[in-house]
Amino acid sequence: MISNFISLHKVDLHYAAVAFKERSLKSFLASTFTRKKKSTAISDIHALKDISLNIQQGERVGLLGHNGAGKSSLLKTIAGLYPISGGKLNVHGQIRSLFDLSLGFEPDATGRENILYRGLLLGLTPKFIKQKEEEIIKFADIGEFIDYPIKTYSAGMQVRLAFAISTSVGGDILLLDEVIGAGDANFMGKARDRITALIKQSKILVLASHDFSSLRSLCTRGIVIQKGAMVFDGGIEDAIGKYQAMQGGV
Amino acid sequence: MYNYLEGIWDARYFWTHLALSDLRSRWRRSFFGIFWSFLQPLGMTLLISFVFSRLFHTDITRYAPYILSGILMWDFLIFNIAGGALSFVQADAYIRQYKHPLAIYTLRNIITGLIVLVMGMIGLVLWVLVVMPENFGLCWIAVLLVFPILVLMVWPLATLMAYIGTRFRDLAPALTLIMQAFWFASPVYFEAKMFREGGLSKLVDYNPIYHLLQIVRAPLLQGEWPTLENYSFCIATGVLFFILTAWVGLTAEKRVIFYL
Repeated sequence: MISNFISLHKVDLHYAAVAFKERSLKSFLASTFTRKKKSTAISDIHALKDISLNIQQGERVGLLGHNGAGKSSLLKTIAGLYPISGGKLNVHGQIRSLFDLSLGFEPDATGRENILYRGLLLGLTPKFIKQKEEEIIKFADIGEFIDYPIKTYSAGMQVRLAFAISTSVGGDILLLDEVIGAGDANFMGKARDRITALIKQSKILVLASHDFSSLRSLCTRGIVIQKGAMVFDGGIEDAIGKYQAMQGGV
Repeated sequence: MYNYLEGIWDARYFWTHLALSDLRSRWRRSFFGIFWSFLQPLGMTLLISFVFSRLFHTDITRYAPYILSGILMWDFLIFNIAGGALSFVQADAYIRQYKHPLAIYTLRNIITGLIVLVMGMIGLVLWVLVVMPENFGLCWIAVLLVFPILVLMVWPLATLMAYIGTRFRDLAPALTLIMQAFWFASPVYFEAKMFREGGLSKLVDYNPIYHLLQIVRAPLLQGEWPTLENYSFCIATGVLFFILTAWVGLTAEKRVIFYL
């Protein structure tokens, strides 16, 4: 058996700028008839710059960086959602990711139905989901609302349900993006326990967060990202120190 | 390629669920529900054949099933091809979260469309049995082949439209127009002999839509086996679309997420 690993070698990621340029006839006509001073040129966004990184089995890695530094881009690249524009990416192991928790709910369907939908999205079988259903409902603490449509839920309830579903199965590689910090204090405690348990099952964890205390308690290694480039890689304490120095310095 | 198809198979619970939930939500809170799949084409057929049979001086009882078969197939094509252009855009919440092969999001429409088509076909068969019972025979088995052929022809094309339609959002409205043009140029409601009499035989002989329709019409409406030409034309078109889509997908598949 080959052990699980994540390996990036000189990885670049560009977002195609054409995707957000407006190309409608209306805007074309408007720009020909109105004299504009100077249009700001939109070029491709260089989201990740020359990142080389090796994560071995058993490592718990924390990602630090300002908003927009490239933490989420890096996680989604590892998950295989974004195509890299240069370098080499090698990931071995089954990936479980928790990115945007509220995405992918069907508002008109009940909570129970949504457990099924989301489970299927994650590649589970209907049988397996049925087994896990009660446990998920109990953990999410939704009560009798589970048979009401999702659109009647409060934001916190939605996040709790999504979290409960997504964390009900373990994988080899766990990618988390800012998910801790959802829900009330009571749920936070439960969530932390759940994640700790998941981390024990999974072989690799990569966590992006701004919450130093959870980073300290969950991770051993820290990586600091700034403007798409990796500026620090080392122990978690040193990484936090480096990040705090960056915040103070700039 | 093999891995890709394997990924589609692995996600089978997910896309069958999507297709069924589409059907459910389509008929949610409606009294007739799924029976609209019968009623809608039947009603349309009655309306159209009433007018056309007078216009063209044809026998309404024989002409109506012809129209019905045209409506059923055409609805399937429009739903999948014109609707396919936006199928990735509609599935963006899923695409952003989990890496499934994108072709499952067009397959979802194909499955929904096939279920509606089968319902309508049952109506067509019953109608023909009453009006033209003399056509019934062994050759009716041939009609069943239309379903795999439809999948082969339409699934790759819908996926191709989805790749392009995600990047160029003008495609979806443009396709409605293009499909309308194909409708006029094909014997969907009009009889093939009208095209031939008008000196437009080529629009029939080289038209995959005609051959596709013949697979249903030859057995049910004429009591004959479809010709080998009908089948080979459809399969060749399907293979062509498949190769084209696979080629475009090589680069487009990964980049779709940027354009959502």
